[in-house]
Amino acid sequence: MAYILQQLLQKSAAQYPEKLAVWARGRSITYRELEQRSNQLAHLLRERGLRKGDRVGIYFPKCVESVIAMLGIVKAGGVYVPLDPQAPADRICYIIANCGIRILITREDKRRGLDHATLEALSLSLLIDAAAQSSNGSESLPWTILDEYPSDQAPKVVLTETDLAYILYTSGSTGRPKGVMLTHQNALTFIEWCAEIFKITSEDRLSNHAPLHFDLSVFDVYNTLEAGASLYMVTEDLALFPGKLNEFIESKGITIWYSVPSALTLLLLHSELNAEKLKQLRIILFAGEVFPMKYLQQLAELLPHLDLFNLYGPTETNVCTYYKVERERLASMDKLPIGIACENTEVFAVNDKNEVITRPGETGELYVRGPSVTYGYWADSEKTKRMVLPNTFQPNFEEKMYRTGDLVQLAEDGNYYFLGRRDSMIKSRGYRIELGEIESALLSHAAVKEAVAVAVPDDIVGNRIRAVVAFHDGEGLTAAELQQYCGARIPRYMIPEAIEFRPQLPKTSTGKVDRVQLAQEAAASTALVAS
Amino acid sequence: MSVTNQTPATQSTLKEQIREFIQVQLAEPKGIASFTDDESLMETGVIDSLGIFRLVSFLEEDLKVRVSDEEINAETLKSVNAIEELVIRKKK
Repeated sequence: MAYILQQLLQKSAAQYPEKLAVWARGRSITYRELEQRSNQLAHLLRERGLRKGDRVGIYFPKCVESVIAMLGIVKAGGVYVPLDPQAPADRICYIIANCGIRILITREDKRRGLDHATLEALSLSLLIDAAAQSSNGSESLPWTILDEYPSDQAPKVVLTETDLAYILYTSGSTGRPKGVMLTHQNALTFIEWCAEIFKITSEDRLSNHAPLHFDLSVFDVYNTLEAGASLYMVTEDLALFPGKLNEFIESKGITIWYSVPSALTLLLLHSELNAEKLKQLRIILFAGEVFPMKYLQQLAELLPHLDLFNLYGPTETNVCTYYKVERERLASMDKLPIGIACENTEVFAVNDKNEVITRPGETGELYVRGPSVTYGYWADSEKTKRMVLPNTFQPNFEEKMYRTGDLVQLAEDGNYYFLGRRDSMIKSRGYRIELGEIESALLSHAAVKEAVAVAVPDDIVGNRIRAVVAFHDGEGLTAAELQQYCGARIPRYMIPEAIEFRPQLPKTSTGKVDRVQLAQEAAASTALVAS
Repeated sequence: MSVTNQTPATQSTLKEQIREFIQVQLAEPKGIASFTDDESLMETGVIDSLGIFRLVSFLEEDLKVRVSDEEINAETLKSVNAIEELVIRKKK
């Protein structure tokens, strides 16, 4: 059995060398090519001084090279860090500095956007797009240089399942993103469970809808490699056009689809989903946010031949619970459960008295333990201590558990139901967003005195973000100016789509900004606009 | 001569209209300060999945061109220039 991720590829490359492994943007590579190219990359990285545990950034719009990069980096003993190609350069530079990336695999136009200090700190940029030899800052090499390295096997590096494989950055409440450290074991615990429950075979064709810095993509990439299946990447030229996307699912014969619910809602509302045309599709998985029941019911009706699963779990635990949609119950359900724990994972909910709840109807905060749980956040032991705690619910040995911050209810049917968050984290299009990170960005502007970000629930994307801002006396900006200012600091999906200005923000009796009132007002004014 | 002089003038007005809509409605709310007429609006994230539908309703309601489902794709709506071409073609 595989204990490090690259073994999944090694096994499938031996078994299915000529099979299509990855398709993206009209190009594809076979298992043999993926194995050989990633070996070459691993050799280059070692030669350039990469040591076990060193972080390597992957910074370009996804394509077949993305998967080569992920595998090449872990084969070299490195830790890959997928960087959102659409995020502002400022955020990317922060992440590069935060986890000490010195080698970056990128594209010339992306590299050019990084600031001088970041380029200076890099020892090497490997450019996937050209024989381009720019020499501003770090040394850069063209992708074609890989031809010169041995392809038959990977360099020898001693790794165990407890070594880090990748770091995924998510929104942080203090205004900066935080890096969730994931080991080979964290990922493989999830992948092995998937292989078992979804019976994925070499005949399957998986889609990859999620961006690679988003943990849903771990399912797509590694389940494909595990089974010797084929991966079809959904790039922005497809993702934005439901009609095209529908055609893509049909023409590529996708058998397993995994995405955030909002992507499925758009397919449902803006393309002609047809069970006959999509008869190869056998499983739809969704995660990342709550699927509005009315859309799920419509989807289930239109596609009566396939299985639907709701997966749940923060990046820190991979997927930890799942629910297989019971079609016969669906019409009478008003809320979808997050379900029960995956194999090799334990979940339990703890109430305000710090007791594990056991009876139906009780509510508590969900905790997760087992081999899928992260070590914590890169270079942030404070935050790690708050979220990854000693498990005090069993006295026999020391181990950690993760507190999700999610409030859940245990139901009669044994399933857990998601109720809401303990903090101000929200979801929009499946992305985790800390409202505090948005507020920090707004407050960092010298003219801003007070700022509150509020989430307005939305059927399609989960939440829309608005902000209410008060300026210092004599200061003023337009909403567009402030949005532009935020655009240089936080990702696009976090920028408030509307900003309202007030002389001052309403306060509660304790003198804190009255978030509840602001959220209610925002919801009411949005409803007004919509009607 | 007067005809060739006029054509660029009308086209630049149309381009300005398209640019302004994209800038104010789609780019600015995402904090994107600038984009060129040639740049891929999808790759840079100016147009996201909901933005597509707003763009199409702008073309249909404000510019009065009927856009078929077939025409809603990554090539025709790629950039300001591509959208302008689409509108000109449809208005003929």
